[in-house]
Amino acid sequence: MTDRRFFVILFVAVGLLSLLPLGLGVYHLHVMIVSLFYVMMASSWNLLAGYTGQVSFAHAAFAGIGAYTSGILAAKFGLNPWIGVFIGTILAALIGLGMGILCLRMGGIYLSLTTLGFSEILRIVITNEYEITRGTMGLQVPGLVADYSKPAYFYIMLGGAMLTLIVLYKLIYSDIGLNFRAVQNDERAAASLGVDVVRMRVLAFTVSSALAGMAGGLYGHYLLLITPEIPSLDQQFLVLSMTVIGGMGSFLGPIIGAISLEIFSEYIRAYGEYHVLVFGLVALVVARFAPNGLMGLAEHRLRGRRKASRTVSAAAG
Amino acid sequence: MTLLEGRGLSKRFGGVTALDQVSFSVEEGTIVALIGPNGAGKTTLFNLVAGALKPDAGQILFAGEEITGLTANVTCRRGLARTFQVTRPFATMTCLENVAVAVVNSPRSRANGTWRLSAHECLKAVGLGDLAHIEARHLNVVQKKRLEIARALATRPKLLMLDEVLGGLNTQEIGQAVDFIRSLRDEHHLTVFWIEHVMGAIMQAAEKIIVLDQGRRLMEGSPEEVVKDSRVIQAYLGD
Ligand SMILES: Nc1ncnc2c1ncn2[C@@H]1O[C@H](COP(=O)(O)OP(=O)(O)OP(=O)(O)O)[C@@H](O)[C@H]1O
Ligand SMILES: [Mg+2]
Repeated sequence: MTDRRFFVILFVAVGLLSLLPLGLGVYHLHVMIVSLFYVMMASSWNLLAGYTGQVSFAHAAFAGIGAYTSGILAAKFGLNPWIGVFIGTILAALIGLGMGILCLRMGGIYLSLTTLGFSEILRIVITNEYEITRGTMGLQVPGLVADYSKPAYFYIMLGGAMLTLIVLYKLIYSDIGLNFRAVQNDERAAASLGVDVVRMRVLAFTVSSALAGMAGGLYGHYLLLITPEIPSLDQQFLVLSMTVIGGMGSFLGPIIGAISLEIFSEYIRAYGEYHVLVFGLVALVVARFAPNGLMGLAEHRLRGRRKASRTVSAAAG
Repeated sequence: MTLLEGRGLSKRFGGVTALDQVSFSVEEGTIVALIGPNGAGKTTLFNLVAGALKPDAGQILFAGEEITGLTANVTCRRGLARTFQVTRPFATMTCLENVAVAVVNSPRSRANGTWRLSAHECLKAVGLGDLAHIEARHLNVVQKKRLEIARALATRPKLLMLDEVLGGLNTQEIGQAVDFIRSLRDEHHLTVFWIEHVMGAIMQAAEKIIVLDQGRRLMEGSPEEVVKDSRVIQAYLGD
């Protein structure tokens, strides 16, 4: 995809989505806002899993770090929530950087184990530090806008998603993105051609964690009540399922996966809270039989002309 | 002048001694061949030099500086490029992208800012120009070996280390490959360190041959000296 084409498509899509508040009711707008949160989450997780081949189980935890950082600063210290979101993003980036440096030298599996442990520790800390976090009761936080309105939050989340996608696009279709893909394909070969493999992985992990922190911060101030639900493993597996089902390693895949699964889960919610389990199982089947997800299937259909032009322009742009 | 020098290099894998106190040197601007029976330790020697593995003992000097224990990406940036005997293409990336990885990470080829052109040139040089936009997983074995060479060249190395790149070629193609490798040395002033089983090619191209056998350096000399040496004949026949 060329830069021009990407920005044209992005702005047209954002333009069309901007019209939604005119036609949608409060409930449907809520579903769209949540979808946009998951677009940010799944796309940024995809940077890690889809483009560098490292699986982090702490993506929801980083969203939690963003949400609680900003939430606590606002609720306890009266800090402006926008500044709080910014600080939460930076903190998520720093923790990601630290964790990355500590365990990425040893290889991908260590990242998976460490992040899994980290998620669990974070959950325990949040649940037990009742004084600060209000535990499972949830922390009440102020909103990002003076007068609460769904359309306002819709535009805020749309802006957040747009920013996330631009950052990801710029990274993926740069020399660094080329290095990410080389590392994912074969790290020994990448190293032999001068790629600093550890540095690339740490970079991907840091950026991905920061974006999750930002998504969590914005989302927390939309919900107005921050609970350990945000950094839960349930949430993590939902994001994982969205990415895998949508199409790991493709730019559009996680976006499609996030929106369609969020909408779908609203429909099946009536049958109980099993949707994460169902999606997890579907994701397993997809990973086994259609490793490139829905996007892979779509591309398979349109193969030939489309595919050739995509890879060519990727190399050229 | 000596470009690459190994001093007393040893490497063990569990109980197997792959290399035992091997010393050697590669002079700048020459083509030096490394030969020996299967399992002699040739690829292991390359892995030590290129930083893919760390030696248990010994020293490696490149362009007058010690590079022992440096990681692969650092030795590459210093000007040392290698191909893999069992090819390691970036399967889901196009040939052009495969080569581009080498170009964007090379402190030398970055200077002029036209890496795409230069990536294309490297592909053309090995005869893959027409396959630039094909994903590397679709290549056959011979083409994958060529891609290895294109990537290595794209790092703009001082020293090119080739690990059995002639496999699968017929006599005529071997002749062309030898001419190509010679031209790299003659026109681009590369030094070539070359593992090969195809003796005909080695005899034509190499100024010096180093013979390894069971992890030890058996001998070192001109092609004429090596083929006449009874120990070499013994090592190959006894294998
Ligand atoms: N990573 C490794 N782990 C364990 N053993 C290894 C490893 N690499 C090489 N060896 C062993 O070290 C010895 C030397 O292997 P090496 O690959 O260097 O030989 P070679 O001379 O390149 O042989 P060939 O001509 O078959 O390529 C062999 O016995 C091999 O089994
Ligand atoms: Mg070998």
